[in-house]
Amino acid sequence: MNTEDKNYLVVDQLVKWFGSDRAVNGISFSIEKGSFLTLLGPSGCGKTTTLMSIAGLHAIDAGEIRVGDTIYTSREKKIFLPPEKRDIGMVFQSYAIWPHMTVKQNVAYPLEIRKLHADEIDERVNKVLELVGLSEMAEKLATQLSGGQQQRTALARAIVSNPRLLLFDEPLSNLDLKLREQMRVELKRIQNEVGITSIYVTHDQSEALVMSDEIIVMSKGRIEQRDPPLAVYSKPVNEYVSQFIGVANLLKGKVLSEAESGKGKVDISTSITGLSCDCLLSSEMKKGDEVVVSVRPENVSVSRDNTDSSGIEGKVNAAIFMGNCVDCRITSGSYEWKVLTHPRENLNEGDRVFLHLDPEHTLAVTP
Amino acid sequence: MAQAIAPVEPVQTWRRFLTQETIVTVIVGLIVAVAVILPLITLVVSSFLVLDDLGFDTEWGLENYILLYTDRVIPKAIFNTFIISSGTMILATFLGVSLAWINARTNCPWADYLEPYNLIPFFLSPFVGAIAWHNLASPRIGLLNVWYRDFFGAEGYLLNVDNLWGVIWVTGLFFTPLVYLFVIGSLRRMDPSLEDSARTTGAGLLRTTLTITLPLVTPAILSGAIIVFVTSAGEFGVPFKLAAPYGWETLTTQIFTKAVGDDANHYLGATMSMVLGVITVILIWVQRVYIAPRSYTTVTGKGFRPNVLDLGKWKWVAFGFNLSYIFVAVVLPIFCLFIVSLHPVWTAEIIPSDMSMNNYVKTLFWWREDSIRAATDGIINSFILAFSGASIAMVLALVVSYMIHRTKGFGSKVLDILCVIPIGFPGIVLAMGVLVTYIQTPIYATLWILLLGYITRFFPYGQRNIASIMLAISEELDQSSRMSGATWFTTLRRITIPLLKPGIFAGWVLLFVIFLRELSISIILYSTGTETISVGVYYLANFENEALTSALSMTQTVVLLICIYIFRRVAGKEALSA
Repeated sequence: MNTEDKNYLVVDQLVKWFGSDRAVNGISFSIEKGSFLTLLGPSGCGKTTTLMSIAGLHAIDAGEIRVGDTIYTSREKKIFLPPEKRDIGMVFQSYAIWPHMTVKQNVAYPLEIRKLHADEIDERVNKVLELVGLSEMAEKLATQLSGGQQQRTALARAIVSNPRLLLFDEPLSNLDLKLREQMRVELKRIQNEVGITSIYVTHDQSEALVMSDEIIVMSKGRIEQRDPPLAVYSKPVNEYVSQFIGVANLLKGKVLSEAESGKGKVDISTSITGLSCDCLLSSEMKKGDEVVVSVRPENVSVSRDNTDSSGIEGKVNAAIFMGNCVDCRITSGSYEWKVLTHPRENLNEGDRVFLHLDPEHTLAVTP
Repeated sequence: MAQAIAPVEPVQTWRRFLTQETIVTVIVGLIVAVAVILPLITLVVSSFLVLDDLGFDTEWGLENYILLYTDRVIPKAIFNTFIISSGTMILATFLGVSLAWINARTNCPWADYLEPYNLIPFFLSPFVGAIAWHNLASPRIGLLNVWYRDFFGAEGYLLNVDNLWGVIWVTGLFFTPLVYLFVIGSLRRMDPSLEDSARTTGAGLLRTTLTITLPLVTPAILSGAIIVFVTSAGEFGVPFKLAAPYGWETLTTQIFTKAVGDDANHYLGATMSMVLGVITVILIWVQRVYIAPRSYTTVTGKGFRPNVLDLGKWKWVAFGFNLSYIFVAVVLPIFCLFIVSLHPVWTAEIIPSDMSMNNYVKTLFWWREDSIRAATDGIINSFILAFSGASIAMVLALVVSYMIHRTKGFGSKVLDILCVIPIGFPGIVLAMGVLVTYIQTPIYATLWILLLGYITRFFPYGQRNIASIMLAISEELDQSSRMSGATWFTTLRRITIPLLKPGIFAGWVLLFVIFLRELSISIILYSTGTETISVGVYYLANFENEALTSALSMTQTVVLLICIYIFRRVAGKEALSA
């Protein structure tokens, strides 16, 4: 793959102000052609602003955005390509299906704008409606559609012109849980099939994990981490990412010693008196650094007896039955652990137990 | 399905400002700014110009303002205006709130059917209402007084509307729908659980009404009351017909005599307009800044089913009250106009053998020798003005709404304010501004100056109609069209305008109705040959007889009623409350 395909979309030092707030604070990233990237973060982190900047729905205050060899917008070069010239398909949060048109008219619109021949429009619209599974609904008015069908219509409209980029602005947030889970898989399938480079904005971490090739975690207008889903989950770089993606036990600590490369001991006595643990360290961590130890609830194992006396003693505060697992709160010292156990363990409130941490899954991250 | 798009030339910054969007919006913005601001500035400036005794030269000075309290007539006129506005406010608020409550919150029979009739006076001309009520209840020739004398063999009269009370009565009846429309939304959209939860805490019905319902509706009532106060202060037709001839001058009738007639003094007229304008601006400002934001109940967009109060036997009293309003505000005046219009001359006596349609022939058939030009020209001119005015105003309204609610730049805030100014200003004040601004230009004494006055004063009404729908439809609908590759103009043509169509049409009909009955701007700006229907009615009332006046009034009323019918069919219930 040549470098142009590797850096298909390039966002370079993007800055966007809203009044006196820096909504986007000089972020840079690029995407490989055909891949699916998710911008993930809480509301106000700048993810939607970044998306709107790429779409051209507002001007930017500094930086540059380009796709292939076309500069979409550049503050320095004083270039601004209006949205309609950018050849982008976009799926909006509200779907934005035009209520005065049928499904077919909605989907045909981008092709009509591009002045394609009527026969070709017809052919392509039918093809794409089939792809999203809406062939039956073609003549229905947008107002007669269910949420999921509107969603599919919006997707069909966005991909029908085979645009250079596909943008999603929290497209699933208006659907109910069941439908949302179903649409995640569906969206990913269709994107795979058409192979259009996609950027997806969401605050829902499980959506991001399921669909993306890569995830960019954002906060306060900056990029915190960029990695494939598994790495973002299992190797968060800092406290923010580990508590935003999934659930984590976070304990303040100080690096005691560095053992072999990437491993070491961390003193966590501020949380649990007299305790230190073995964990994975990142390369730049040195002895004496302030760190946060992050352990996923499913990576804490629980035993009733303390045979090798390495366990951390605790007391079950609450055991909430969730069906496939039991969500336990276990206190040891002043710290309350979140632990997921198998229902077979049969933990009950008030039980005395011992917790064991696996050094391979115990991570020291920057605060 | 691969379709390569040729690389597009990047657009340089300086050209970025020459997009379709900016060109159109800048031009329209400038037009609106000039149309609204210029007359107001000229008005302010003119108010400080003093005409010398010969009536030729002017010099700067405050003499006009001193006259406001030293003149023989003006101080009294200001006082009378205050009395009329206060009285009208009280009457219209009482009627409007009562009717809204009856229709929205009680089990009054057939309330849904009565509502459209409650709103009819909103669309009719108060001036014509005054003419009708003059024929019904002036001491000598009033039909009701005649019947009173005939039936009871009594002397004198039962009712007299030829005074300030008459003005308050008629204006109050006609402005009741204003209060009604302000209040009905709050009453209908009120979350019933607010009242239910008060009841569950042990508060009784009366206590709940007084401590929960009423406070929640109070901002809406106050808003309606202020609007009525301001509107009736600027009302010209009713005091002109019922008060001025009997020695009760008001600010508007005084402005009128200074704008036209033998002792015309535009500068003094401008000064009096300033008084009216300043009162209006202050009150509207109070309404918008202090009262409107306190409106609690309009926040949620949810549709609620409000609690309905079972009135028991009293529901028939409520029903009777509602019917009575419709009877005195709509049925009786129209009936009277019709009866009077059939007689050659109105002698306060119904003479079936004398009845004919002759008066309609004289006021409608412009090709006939004996037609009255002021009436026939007036009808034609009014239709020209209403049609072109409504069309131009809606185009302006569309672009202006777009700028305010979509473009959202610096200009949009300025425009938003510019759109509020004309709504606040009484027509007669704005007309004085337009008159002093354009009197030296070629458009004076043409239909153009009337068109300019109409559009400037009333296009914000259309703008609001569009804006309310524009706010309800997501901006993403526009954006997704741009993302589909459509230019700004194509998006406007294929997405925005089709979606706004109901609002555009409702606004158009509303303006058409307003323009067809418009009096206070027309009366200042018309000249021979550019009369409108209402000016025609004024002319007939002054220079012909009551019967001819009633015929033309009746014609206007029928046309307006047809428009209301169309408006309701097309726009539905919702459009009005917007």
